[in-house]
Amino acid sequence: MKSMMLGLSRFMSVLGGLVLSFLILLTCTSIAGRLLNGFFHGDFMTAIAPGLSDWMLNLGVGPVTGDFELVEAGVAFAIFAFIPLCQMTAGHASVDIFVSFMPERLVGFLRMVTEVVFGLVLVVIAVQLCSGMLDKIDNRETSFLLAYPVWWAYALSLFGAVAAAIVGVYMGAVRVYEFFTHTTIIPEGTEAGH
Amino acid sequence: QEVTLKLHQFLPPQANVPKLVLDVWADNVEEDSGGRIKIDRYPSMQLGGKPPELMDQAIDGVADIVWTVVGYTPGRYLSTEVFELPFMMTNARAVSHAYWEMFEEHMKDDEFKDVHILGTWVHGPGMFHTKDPVERPEDLQGMKIRGGSRSVNALLTELGATPVGMPVPAVTEGLSKGVIDGTTIPWEVTPALKVPELVANHTEFEGHALYVLTFVLAMNKAKYESLPDDLKAVIDENSGLEFSVFAGGTQADADGPAREIALDLGNNIITIPADQTEEWRKRAQPVYDAWLEEMAAKGKDGQALLDQARMLIEKYTPMYTN
Amino acid sequence: MTDLQIGIYSFPALLLLIFFRVPIGLAMFVVAFVGLSLLEGVSFPLLRLKNEVFSTFANYSLSIVPMFLLMGHFATLGGMSTALFRAAESFLGHRRGGVGMAAIGACAGFGAICGSSLATAATMGRVALPELKRYGYAGGFSTATLAAGGTLGILIPPSVVLVIYAILTEQNIAKLFLAAFIPGILAALGYVLAISLYVRLFPDSAGTRPPVPWRERLAALVDVWPVLLVFGLVVGGIYLGWFSPTEGAAVGAAGTGLIALVNGGLNRATLIESFIVTGRSTAMIFFIVLGAAFYNGFLALTKLPDEMVSFVVSQGFAPLTVLVVFLVFYLVFGCVMDSLSMILLTIPVFWPVIQALDFNLLSMEAFQAHRAAEALAEGVEIAQPMLQSIQEALAQGVLLTKEQIDALGIRVSERLLDRINMEYTAIWFGILVLIVVEVGLITPPVGMNLFIINSMDRETPMLETYKAVGFFVASDILRVILLVAVPAITLFLLPM
Ligand code: NA
Ligand code: NA
Repeated sequence: MKSMMLGLSRFMSVLGGLVLSFLILLTCTSIAGRLLNGFFHGDFMTAIAPGLSDWMLNLGVGPVTGDFELVEAGVAFAIFAFIPLCQMTAGHASVDIFVSFMPERLVGFLRMVTEVVFGLVLVVIAVQLCSGMLDKIDNRETSFLLAYPVWWAYALSLFGAVAAAIVGVYMGAVRVYEFFTHTTIIPEGTEAGH
Repeated sequence: QEVTLKLHQFLPPQANVPKLVLDVWADNVEEDSGGRIKIDRYPSMQLGGKPPELMDQAIDGVADIVWTVVGYTPGRYLSTEVFELPFMMTNARAVSHAYWEMFEEHMKDDEFKDVHILGTWVHGPGMFHTKDPVERPEDLQGMKIRGGSRSVNALLTELGATPVGMPVPAVTEGLSKGVIDGTTIPWEVTPALKVPELVANHTEFEGHALYVLTFVLAMNKAKYESLPDDLKAVIDENSGLEFSVFAGGTQADADGPAREIALDLGNNIITIPADQTEEWRKRAQPVYDAWLEEMAAKGKDGQALLDQARMLIEKYTPMYTN
Repeated sequence: MTDLQIGIYSFPALLLLIFFRVPIGLAMFVVAFVGLSLLEGVSFPLLRLKNEVFSTFANYSLSIVPMFLLMGHFATLGGMSTALFRAAESFLGHRRGGVGMAAIGACAGFGAICGSSLATAATMGRVALPELKRYGYAGGFSTATLAAGGTLGILIPPSVVLVIYAILTEQNIAKLFLAAFIPGILAALGYVLAISLYVRLFPDSAGTRPPVPWRERLAALVDVWPVLLVFGLVVGGIYLGWFSPTEGAAVGAAGTGLIALVNGGLNRATLIESFIVTGRSTAMIFFIVLGAAFYNGFLALTKLPDEMVSFVVSQGFAPLTVLVVFLVFYLVFGCVMDSLSMILLTIPVFWPVIQALDFNLLSMEAFQAHRAAEALAEGVEIAQPMLQSIQEALAQGVLLTKEQIDALGIRVSERLLDRINMEYTAIWFGILVLIVVEVGLITPPVGMNLFIINSMDRETPMLETYKAVGFFVASDILRVILLVAVPAITLFLLPM
């Protein structure tokens, strides 16, 4: 179970990273297209090589249409996809200093409650995101420039949110089991990814 | 008081529409209700979310009343786009009047059936603000322009310009960094975005304007229904046709002082005379065709809507021209 | 309970959860959820979640965050952190405290291509900690040096915290980056001074290394060229108008990735590792952003921020007093709170207050003088007596007359002055806030940078680090005082 969850989390992280890399390349392409477009439209090129300029412009050398909305949709997915591993490796920012003075049993109890609530929150987020997506299917809202249905972007994010919810619930269950059996299945803050 | 309503919108409180339109409306409602209605105002998206979510917030009841740009949710309220088509708009009061009439006849129980609409209006004439002068359609060739609406983006593509999508607040940086060569917005918004300082040329059209955006003031339906009849009457009294014309007119009146700033700076203001606008309008035909097609795909008679909108605008324009 | 009371009680509730080690983002989320349920019923927060989580994550401006993080990681894979440290060490290593100073210099260089303080601390810690040990630096002194150096990651642009501040206050990101530059350099110099003072007071705490011949120094300098290339491309591109800061992050990530690939640092395994490390920090940051957005929406509904603004304004405090109170607040809370959460939580409340006060950073006299100087430099045609009267007025620092302004052909309205002042205030306040929240990263007991570096050095007790870091905190506080007293240092590079 643990290795399966870890595998899922790592897979989602890599998927998120690949999408992020794609967005980086997309943005660079768009910048290059925009700069070249300006260059071929510029006085210099239209004067010395009008044929080449027209040819390049007719090929559609210019910024990528809708790069803005693609980045938004993509980065939302990447963030959702990054949550599972953060969940499994206790990657969220928290303040440790006060619990270091508390008895270990109490700390274990707090950890259990926190992770159960976190799992619950991630489930609620996924369920509500799904409800938002159904609305968007229903009202046929589209994006601004590319006019793709907005629910596509929601669906992509939902995929990440569901993985986060599964891992979140699993971590909650693990901490409950650990608390009542006095065992450690997943040590906190392990760099499980390495 | 009996009822507290949350009014949510995306502009800061000192901007023209919140200060001159929404506050006036809310104050009137509060006063007419004898203090039984209180309207809490939340500017700058204080209650959370991004501007495109406003409409859903009104539908879901996360906010009770929202002011929003209909075009923030493309594809959902296709009929209102009839007023956003290039070179339809003449004057904000006349078009807002036509918009309310057609809203009641065609949109109220159809596209807007999930909310209670209190007002429908448009801003003053939308126009070009560019670094290099735009006098003829060909001048736009190769320019990177932030288009204000879907229709404008389509028109820009037709004219060989590159439409760049960015939110309004990004325009300032876009212009100063050369990411865009110009933008389309009405005069009213230009000072806040420092546009007059960043571009030297402004192109207006005589008669029919380049474009407008459509706005609605929308209320959660269940909330409205839950009001006692006398309070409903207070809301009704302050909403509808008269309010819509007031809102559109007030917004357009803010264009003048903004235009002064550009003149102060010695910028070049180009006015395309009405007879030359025809040439531009011809180039916009594919945008009309595309919209008609989209309407047909949704089983709606776009041509009838278009004809009626034109007829009403022609009818009301003289009424509101001084 | 009134709405306002619910808002007020949410603070202790939030702090309690945070002390119980509930992740900060989750704590804000839960408090907001419960608070909203109390105010409007439980279906209210649920309805908000339908779109708000997605729209918080699907944010173009914030996409800069994972891109800058990935850029920092690629830079390390490309050997840039090591090259920076080697170069700095070859120049400074033989001085007293020189290896420590070199670490600060390398952190500053790395900060110029990395937007995150934690990443800078972790990266440079890995490179420099073994070297410091080798040359006999005391444990606590080494860890404190690197923890402080790490803060240069956000002090020197690009900076994730500034991006968030710019979005919250609707300011120009590029201008904020520009304004952060001189204070960032001052920070590095201040740390170098702190080190030299420390080694004078505690001579046993640091050794020196043998001097490096000039030929080797130059060779080490040559190895730094990829850093310069990427920094030049990103910063130059932004200022030349080739791309926006958000796009600049993508260019930087692609550039460092390419260099890492060429240097052989990037392969399948390290790429996956980069995704995982970047992903973990990204998820952490965005969960805090989400929690804070949700919590701020709740606070707005309680009217607490409005009440606070009208309270402060009605008291008629001097603007400087309010500013100092806010900055001290950040310093105190920075001892126990995380920097990003502090910004996200407080700016929506503090910024409207600051905005309502008049700091008069640019006076009408100075504004006129600047515009007049510009016009004269461009060579306006002015009759001799008029020119002389203008020059006299400028020399005396008095207001120009309408005729003089017209003769110069300049534009200096009150409205224009107000607009510039508002922007100056936003930028100046932003840089000050950036510095004070960054101090929180190295103030005991809770300082993320201290934790990160200390966890890399098992032999040094946390207490030793706490003791040594005081010198760096003092240098930070002196710098804040300097920047408050002389706003021109921050605003110097900005166009008027
Ligand atoms: Na940096
Ligand atoms: Na601290």
